[in-house]
Amino acid sequence: MMPLLQINDLSIDYLSEGTAGRSFRAVDGISFALEKGEMLAVVGESGSGKTTLALGIMRLLPENARVTGSIILKGRDFNSMSEEEKDQIRWKEIAVVFQNSLEVLNPVMRMEDQICEPMIKHLHIEKDEAKKRGSELFRLVDLDPVWLKAYPHQLSGGMRQRALIAMALSCQPEILILDEVTSALDAFTKAKIADLLRRLQRDFGYSMILISHDISFLSSLTNRMMVMYAGRAMERGDTDKMIDHPLHPYTRGLINSTPGIFLYRDLWGIPGEAPSGAVPGCPFYSRCTQRVDLCMSSSPALQPVNSEREVACHLGGVVTLLSASGMNYCYRLPDGGVLDAVKDVCLDISEGEVLAIVGQTGSGKSTLAHMLAGVMGSGVGEIYFKGNRMNGKGYGSQYGGIQIVFQDPVNATSSRFTVLDAVKEPLDINHLQRPEERVELVKAALASVGLSSSEQFLNQYCGRLSGGQRQRVALARALIMKPKLLIADEITSSLDVSTAANVLRMLKGLQNSQGFAMIYITHDLMVALKVADRIAIMERGRIIEIGNSHQVILHPQEEATRKLVETKMNREELIPGG
Amino acid sequence: MTFDSYNRQKNAALLKAVRKSSSAWLQQHLQYHRQSQRPWSRIIGSMLCTFGKFTMAGKITLFGLLLIVFVAVFAPFITIYEPSAISGGSLEPPGPEHILGTDELGMDIWSQICYGARMSLIIGLAVALISGVGGGTLGLLGGYLGGNWDRVLLRAIDITMALPSFPLLIVIAAFLNPSILNVILALVFLSWAKPARIVRSSALAMKKQHYIISARLNGASPSYIIRRHIMPEVLPVLFVSILNIASYAIVAESGLAFLGLGDPTSKSWGMMLHYSTSFRSIYFTPYWQWWLIPPLVALIFLLLCLAFIGRDMERVIDPKLRMGGRS
Repeated sequence: MMPLLQINDLSIDYLSEGTAGRSFRAVDGISFALEKGEMLAVVGESGSGKTTLALGIMRLLPENARVTGSIILKGRDFNSMSEEEKDQIRWKEIAVVFQNSLEVLNPVMRMEDQICEPMIKHLHIEKDEAKKRGSELFRLVDLDPVWLKAYPHQLSGGMRQRALIAMALSCQPEILILDEVTSALDAFTKAKIADLLRRLQRDFGYSMILISHDISFLSSLTNRMMVMYAGRAMERGDTDKMIDHPLHPYTRGLINSTPGIFLYRDLWGIPGEAPSGAVPGCPFYSRCTQRVDLCMSSSPALQPVNSEREVACHLGGVVTLLSASGMNYCYRLPDGGVLDAVKDVCLDISEGEVLAIVGQTGSGKSTLAHMLAGVMGSGVGEIYFKGNRMNGKGYGSQYGGIQIVFQDPVNATSSRFTVLDAVKEPLDINHLQRPEERVELVKAALASVGLSSSEQFLNQYCGRLSGGQRQRVALARALIMKPKLLIADEITSSLDVSTAANVLRMLKGLQNSQGFAMIYITHDLMVALKVADRIAIMERGRIIEIGNSHQVILHPQEEATRKLVETKMNREELIPGG
Repeated sequence: MTFDSYNRQKNAALLKAVRKSSSAWLQQHLQYHRQSQRPWSRIIGSMLCTFGKFTMAGKITLFGLLLIVFVAVFAPFITIYEPSAISGGSLEPPGPEHILGTDELGMDIWSQICYGARMSLIIGLAVALISGVGGGTLGLLGGYLGGNWDRVLLRAIDITMALPSFPLLIVIAAFLNPSILNVILALVFLSWAKPARIVRSSALAMKKQHYIISARLNGASPSYIIRRHIMPEVLPVLFVSILNIASYAIVAESGLAFLGLGDPTSKSWGMMLHYSTSFRSIYFTPYWQWWLIPPLVALIFLLLCLAFIGRDMERVIDPKLRMGGRS
């Protein structure tokens, strides 16, 4: 069966006026197909070309835009149509609902006249007939027909949005393009609009393209999603699966920035800005946490990863940074017995991901962290870091390796060392950089963890610092090696609540801006929920449950997890309607 | 206000001012040496710092020890006669010719005391350094590297510690030739275990410190960790132990000499005691006053100096006391 709308390699350039040949590519080689009755989500930050794509499909672009590629509607190519034919199609076949704003509507015309205008023009019906249909349409979108007599400024935002939807529906198109229809609305109105759209789709079988940056709104409506960045499609696939398991780092960043998905976690955006001009390589290069040299020189194409997912990444999406399997460690007890501290643990950490390992005291979580960092040597299990098998030495001796920060701040740095010596030590040991550069790096690292980088502080002995300061010094020491994976072993448990909160937020901020992956060991589920993408629950040396943090909390699979969750929070308020 | 109390107050103020200025001088130097990057300067700085924390008794006895060292080093310049030269009549009382008198063979007592200080100090220093550094190194390697080597070391330490040291020392000294070298070797054999054990246990404890694990994960070699982390922590403890061994060695050497097991030709305080007490019915004559008392006083003074310095050092380096407050 032929898709309703087929778009092949659509590119849209805005030509700058005056300077010939200089252009800005807003949409770059987008292809997709829309089936009858399908709801497709297009997601991206502002400036990623979503609205230009919508305007391009509608052929409503300004004069200076140049469109290449083909748009095929029901087997007819737009390029081969005349202007009149396109004009016909514009309301009868495809209609667009613009972002709610006063600009879209004519402020000096009553709603009635505005809604009747396209019907009279395209359906060639009488004015009375059009008015009758207008009030029907208003009822359809849950709007009292009395508002037909009102001027646009007399309507509230939600009402205006409904009126715009009613206008789009007026000529009974088959495809609706909804551009940011809910972004300016409150949550309640947003939910009602979502209900309306769902009803329209179910009852009348509209095909819809929903353009938004609001993933939680889209996830409730659509079944397929396309992520756009700098005019290109970065990832495409099943909506729910993409939200659960994003493959492209950009998709993951978007999901992490969305409040409605992880209920308890703090919000952190994707650091950096989209490129403003044309780039030879991957447009996400400058913000990506796992970039390689290839990404700078060549642009990745959208390629299928499995039957239902396509991703535009040279590395095939988010890379597994560390993978550990068969992790075993036991302590010998004084009475000759053996205590299995860690038993048959398998663990994967993706690039740039935060995994919290939660468990009671004695559940083996710290031991596991130490094993992963290489404290126990190599004979504890199969550990692969960046694809290389861990040998006896660990990965702490080079840039981009694994660094660990321990629980006890007093013990984490030598009291006899000055702050400068303590932070500089990893560089000194490995003879990295020139001695003068090392001091500068130390100052930068101290500044990044919120400590003074004055001479006086640099020459302060670590033994004279407070617990919070020492823990920050230990963090600076780990960060100076630019780790790809930071293991934080209960680093806030010996600090007071306020200091702990500061250190925690600072650490998460650093993780977000520097893009390293982190294993955060804690006994506090609430803290884990604040920072983690994924949570692993440990009990008696085993990982009994691992998954996305919201899923582990809302739908715990194991009895022990359920108990842990219950002791931490009131169950009634946790599960809506439960 | 009486004149007396006024005077006392003035003196106290003066003393305070002197103390203040001297501590200011100390602080100034401390600051200078601490900020310096040169290792020697840092060592001087930490020495000044340690000295600043000494008690008055510790400071006085440190000067006493320096005095004895001075006497030993400059013995030829502060004595008139050779210690084994017969320079006067037998058993002359102290006088302008011989300030501390002479012994039965007519040898100058003052010369013997001065040269005897050399012997005591050399033996003390040699034994303490060899057993302290040697035992310390063994303990460090055993503690840090662990494994079979550590097990062997631990057994050896246990056996050595269990031996009754002084009787064994007498037996060894009786069997070997009574030379200084043999006495030193015998003393080293008996005293290396204590520093080895102290250093081993602190190396063992430090190995588990997170900052050392961090350094190891950052790729530090054992030699780096021992040099940068363990040595500075262990050295003060080792130093106290060396001081104690020095006192022990000096007492032991004097004891052996007193029992007649020392080198009969050497000039040591123990030998002087041995000869003087061997002089028949010395206590019925006035000779003991200038023959027996001087070496005895010198020996007691040296041991007291070492004991006080050792006690102060222990107090300064004890981490519990270092944090403030006496336990």
